[in-house]
Amino acid sequence: MLEYSEPVARLIDEFKRLPGIGQKSAQRLAFHVLRLPEERVEDFVEALRQVKEKIVFCSSCNNLTDVDPCQYCSSPSRDRSMICVVEEPYNLVAIEKTRSYKGLYHILHGSLSPIRGIGPDELMLSNLFPRLSTDEEDGEEVKEIIIATNPTTEGEATANYIARLVKPLGIRVTRIAMGMPVGSDLEFVDEVTMDKALSNRHEI
Amino acid sequence: MLLESVAADGFRNLDGKFSCGNGLNIICGNNGHGKTNWLEAIHLLSTTKSFRTARLSEAIRFDATTAIVRGEVRQSGQIVRTIQVILEGNTKTLTVNGKKETVQNYMGQLYAFVFNSDELEIVRGSPDSRRRFLDDGIVSIFPPFVQTLSDFNKVIRQKNKLLQNARKDETPANKVEALLAPWNEQLVSLASRIHKARVRFVERLNEVLERKLFDREELSIRYVSSLEGKGDLDDYESLIAERLSLRTQAEIYSGYSLIGPHRDDLEINFDGREMRKFGSSGQQRSALLSLLLAGVSVFHEQQDEYPLFLIDDIDAELDYRRIGKLLEYLDGKTQTFVTTSKESFVEKFGVDARVIRVAEGLPTGES
Repeated sequence: MLEYSEPVARLIDEFKRLPGIGQKSAQRLAFHVLRLPEERVEDFVEALRQVKEKIVFCSSCNNLTDVDPCQYCSSPSRDRSMICVVEEPYNLVAIEKTRSYKGLYHILHGSLSPIRGIGPDELMLSNLFPRLSTDEEDGEEVKEIIIATNPTTEGEATANYIARLVKPLGIRVTRIAMGMPVGSDLEFVDEVTMDKALSNRHEI
Repeated sequence: MLLESVAADGFRNLDGKFSCGNGLNIICGNNGHGKTNWLEAIHLLSTTKSFRTARLSEAIRFDATTAIVRGEVRQSGQIVRTIQVILEGNTKTLTVNGKKETVQNYMGQLYAFVFNSDELEIVRGSPDSRRRFLDDGIVSIFPPFVQTLSDFNKVIRQKNKLLQNARKDETPANKVEALLAPWNEQLVSLASRIHKARVRFVERLNEVLERKLFDREELSIRYVSSLEGKGDLDDYESLIAERLSLRTQAEIYSGYSLIGPHRDDLEINFDGREMRKFGSSGQQRSALLSLLLAGVSVFHEQQDEYPLFLIDDIDAELDYRRIGKLLEYLDGKTQTFVTTSKESFVEKFGVDARVIRVAEGLPTGES
């Protein structure tokens, strides 16, 4: 027998499918929804529907956007000679927050992982290469690809795979540096990061 | 590092607290009353792991929801810290002086080497037990090595899956090579680090290894790379890269990563013969003790402190001659904890020791 009546049980089940939500949180959310006024629920449903209806992949960089091409690809102030490759749209957001990168992006929506069944064909990678040839309409040449995949074995493999394909085209390929978080004290850095920071040290 | 006292509650059948001596501690009691559980509790405090089970939830007493093991550790001179491991369901919480700590910050408060019948796998079991002995030893003196090992294992698992898919789907060879390349490149660098660390660790063990401490025959150890005889091991990085490219077809055919330090071994010999095959069970125990003691010495060289030394069921595993030599060797070095069910053992070795008597999981007396 179900502990809750069917509509409630179903809502709890749907919440539980969301990442980071377990049984207890799902129950709390479901009962919160039950207490909401009708129109708030309508707004919520509408927001969910709209996000699925209006958000598409940018045809150039694969970013999630409601206008195609996305705001970065269509902006005249971005530097078209650089493309930064990231795994997920929220990685782009992290880089944008620096306000120091003015180039374009390319979002893979994942990283290579044979165990999870993700090979190059499962990544949104193939549409990177047309972007690298100069005969695109804006005519500006891509001079550098910055690979900002995660510092995990999967992220490294992805970086390496892309570098092997791009380098022969005569385009500079760089990998973001790994090491110390800035503004923190040396003593708070874990040994693994410290070790990496030491081996990636540079002359000043 | 010195464990001044240890307390447990809800951990297996344990309850209560006892204070520890600086040298030899003998945990004594009848079988089934919890001697080994106390040793396991001390091991848990030292390493955050059990030497019996990978599933720590099994160690929570069946009628309890949490298990707590607490120790007071004297770091040096006046500094005494209370360290605690709390098990609740599948979660493990570590605290130092009542404040929650990460594993990385918790480790290093205490460290223990353990001798028991399971550890004998190191001398008589398969190569993976010996690789684990080396890797644990390296981690004890260089914690970031954990990451190298974990990354290496991930790369091997990903690569195996890729090889198996390629075999199943009959992917063309040039495409497989392109897919393998990013994993092999990481493998080369991680494998080189592991190779270098293990070779160096075995060198250090060799420098301090007591070759004839327990027996007449001379003990020797040697790290055996699976790439031995295939080229110049001093330039391991180039060698493994070359082997990987030469053996791609064989790897695809077998569906497994054939090249790397996950195929290496530690050779343990006595008078030039292989201990695993030809050693008597007494000689194998001597060899394991000598290896552990060498590990203790390397640890001491590196940290300027001695770890704890734990021996389970000491008189079942070792004869009195070997025990005498071992305790004499450890005297003035490690804080040592042994378990025994025999009063005769206490009479023979317990003169300067602290004796903790255990019944039904409770420490009932100290002397």
